[in-house]
Amino acid sequence: MTSNPHQQITTHLLTTKSLPVSPTWLTTFLASTTTSTSRTIPLSALTQTALFRILTSDIRDSLSTTNPSTLLPVDIFDPTIQERRLNGPIPLQVLDIEDIGTSLWSQVEAIERVERGEAIRGREIVRTVNVGEDSEAAAAENNNNNNAAGGGGGGGGGDSNGTHRLILQDAAGTRAVGLEFARVNGIGLGKLAIGAKVIVRDVTVARGLVMLTPESCVVLGGKIEGLDVQWREGRKERLLERINGGV
Amino acid sequence: MTTQRVLCVAEKPAIAKAVAQHLSGGSFQTIAIRGNQYVKNYVFDFNFGGPWGTCSVTMTSVIGHLTGLDFERQYRTWLSCPPSALFEAPVHESVADDKVAIAKNIQEQARRCKALFIWTDCDREGEHIGTEIRKQAKEGNARIVIKRARFSNTEKAHVLHAARSLIELDDLQANAVAARIELDLRIGAAFTRLQTLQLKPLSAALQDTIISYGSCQFPTLGFVVDRYLRVKNFKPETFWGIKVMHTRDDIKVNFLWKRVHLFDRAAVTVMLERCLMAKKAKVTKVTQKPTSKWRPLPLTTVDLQMMGSRYLRMDSQTIMKVAEALYTKGFISYPRTETDQFDKGIDLKKLVEKQLPDGNWGQYARNLLDGAFKTPRSGRHNDQAHPPIHPICWVAPTALTADEKKVYEFVVRRFLACCSEDAKGQSTEVEIQYGDEFFHAKGLLVLERNYLDVYVYDKWESSQQLPNFQMGEMFEPTEAKIFDGKTTPPNYLTEPELIGLMDANGIGTDATMAEHIAKIKERQYVAVHSRGSGRNAVKELIPTRLGIALVEGYDNVFAGIPDSPSLSKPFLRKEMELRMREICAGRRTRQQVVQESLDMYREVFVHTQRRINRLKDACRKYLNEQETS
Repeated sequence: MTSNPHQQITTHLLTTKSLPVSPTWLTTFLASTTTSTSRTIPLSALTQTALFRILTSDIRDSLSTTNPSTLLPVDIFDPTIQERRLNGPIPLQVLDIEDIGTSLWSQVEAIERVERGEAIRGREIVRTVNVGEDSEAAAAENNNNNNAAGGGGGGGGGDSNGTHRLILQDAAGTRAVGLEFARVNGIGLGKLAIGAKVIVRDVTVARGLVMLTPESCVVLGGKIEGLDVQWREGRKERLLERINGGV
Repeated sequence: MTTQRVLCVAEKPAIAKAVAQHLSGGSFQTIAIRGNQYVKNYVFDFNFGGPWGTCSVTMTSVIGHLTGLDFERQYRTWLSCPPSALFEAPVHESVADDKVAIAKNIQEQARRCKALFIWTDCDREGEHIGTEIRKQAKEGNARIVIKRARFSNTEKAHVLHAARSLIELDDLQANAVAARIELDLRIGAAFTRLQTLQLKPLSAALQDTIISYGSCQFPTLGFVVDRYLRVKNFKPETFWGIKVMHTRDDIKVNFLWKRVHLFDRAAVTVMLERCLMAKKAKVTKVTQKPTSKWRPLPLTTVDLQMMGSRYLRMDSQTIMKVAEALYTKGFISYPRTETDQFDKGIDLKKLVEKQLPDGNWGQYARNLLDGAFKTPRSGRHNDQAHPPIHPICWVAPTALTADEKKVYEFVVRRFLACCSEDAKGQSTEVEIQYGDEFFHAKGLLVLERNYLDVYVYDKWESSQQLPNFQMGEMFEPTEAKIFDGKTTPPNYLTEPELIGLMDANGIGTDATMAEHIAKIKERQYVAVHSRGSGRNAVKELIPTRLGIALVEGYDNVFAGIPDSPSLSKPFLRKEMELRMREICAGRRTRQQVVQESLDMYREVFVHTQRRINRLKDACRKYLNEQETS
């Protein structure tokens, strides 16, 4: 071999995506791709495939844990530490996402509406007066509310002010709670799948909460299929349990 | 040359009389008709101009629809046939028993007349009633010439103009009504029989009731039940937020958090700590801009019903009855309209002028004429038949009943508000960054009240004034702390909200919504409760056990059938309504629409029959609970 693809892919993913690939994982990956197809796959394509696989993998398998600066401190949860900074870059995967700007109950109501097929069919049931055409009119009419009869109870989930709480996990399996302190592109229910990968760098951790901001957090995307399906299927149950448990 | 004889027929006796008065100039002969004490014939001469010239006129009326549609005799009793047979059973139209004398009067008069001029209300129902009148007239005189007068109020000049610019009857609109009547009959009867026969034996409480079904009634009930369940199932949750207060120039300014509140106490605690760590807040935005509260749009029926039930403490059906009475007496324009834009041709100032004598708003009207007048805003709806609801002339309050006074006053104030300037004010907004968090405070100063002076139903008041803040300025807020609160359930549905939902979902027309609401009350599917007391009392619609049982039952019947939405949902009815409009537009025929809609509901009917036990279970569940409780 003229060049070492192992070395090249490792360097490329580390420098461009801040992903420290596990050598064992990469070896397996290369073995599987070179045996199944011809040897003439261009390196760039191979790198792309490797990246794609990592994004859909569990990073505890696919990323290396040898460099401590790419991992969370194990005492990350410690609430007695008022503030500290992690330089990173640290690759993390999303294990849970929640919208803490919206009540659990209105999220349940939104899920139930979809279950009833009302949203799926696209034939909206207008539940408050200010929906669809009328809401545009109302918006256009600025603060004039002569034509509106005070809407009832607000819609579910649509009025979130976009603060999300994430459970994040590093390549060593350490978990941390991330909080969307400022709006981060790519973070959102329905936008960010379970198992999606994010990179944090120069990030502040306050009382054990990782403060996610557009400067400190980049969403690479991806998902872990099994976890994502499980999460979505169990979401309503979990919400209901928490409501009834009074959490 | 002998003068031609012309027969004019209005939709209601009061309109016949009002029109006769205007056309005759006040001198006409009144002749009673045999067999009906309300309908009269008014005889006078009138010059219709054009090809007609001066004619000898007999002006009479019907009382709403002349004919009714029903099944052939052998299908009429409860057990005469399986309910599903009603989708195909032969129907026929006949003159209702109490209308026979009226029909006969038209036939007799037509025999002696060269032409029939129809003066029914200019809407879909009126067009259909026009065809019913035409049918009777043709039976009396097959060669009679038919014309129609187009009018939307009974003000004199308007009526005279209508009489001299006759048009043709619109058969498309009449066909849409005919389709609606047939569908309502078949679908209503089939489901009513099915559910009454099946559910009656379940509970003693249902012994003497008819459990009626109507394709508008059920979605209307569905909205009420849906909201009720949302209230009942609601679970309160605690939320937390950050409140920042700063005292300057003796003014306590409360800054509101941009995140409003969060449902995670730990997160809020950390956020507050970081605010406090930052010590000082920075002013990031100071804006001062003119703002205005827009005057209302011209008044439509739906708006009249919604605003009326909110501000006048009357239910929508009462409001419509009162508005009709005011229209019939010539005080306001036709109260059934979707139009929220005034035609350019209408002389609004003249209408304003008519209000000058009023003791309450006469002076306001004077100001408008003295230069404050503004051309009303235009909404986006125009039914091409009627202008927005507006006053036709001034009437002394003593000439009106208490309810009429309220509705008339609302119509006038709304009209004058439409012709006024928007209210003007100045808003100030200050935004601060405190730690990583953003907060803002708003102030409003109302400078010119304008339309608000006459439109007492809108509120827009100056708030606390903000002290001076400089852009970029740093200051240490007087206080920053966490507050908590609990989410609250929505309120039960009120009538104005229900009308809004029906309107947005195509349930009923502006003319019939109030009737559907009255119907579900009458059937005891829904009860009205008062929340609060005195002037602040709000009337709420709460479903009865039977109402909930029916909705839950049907929802269960259709659960898991993806292509058949439940009868408690508005989808099917909305589709039917769209098809009616297609008939009016000439894109589909009455037969096509009846066939398609029947096919749609027949399928739903088959599902219901097959899974009738689910409906029964729901009824048992709620009605037996009632007996034991």
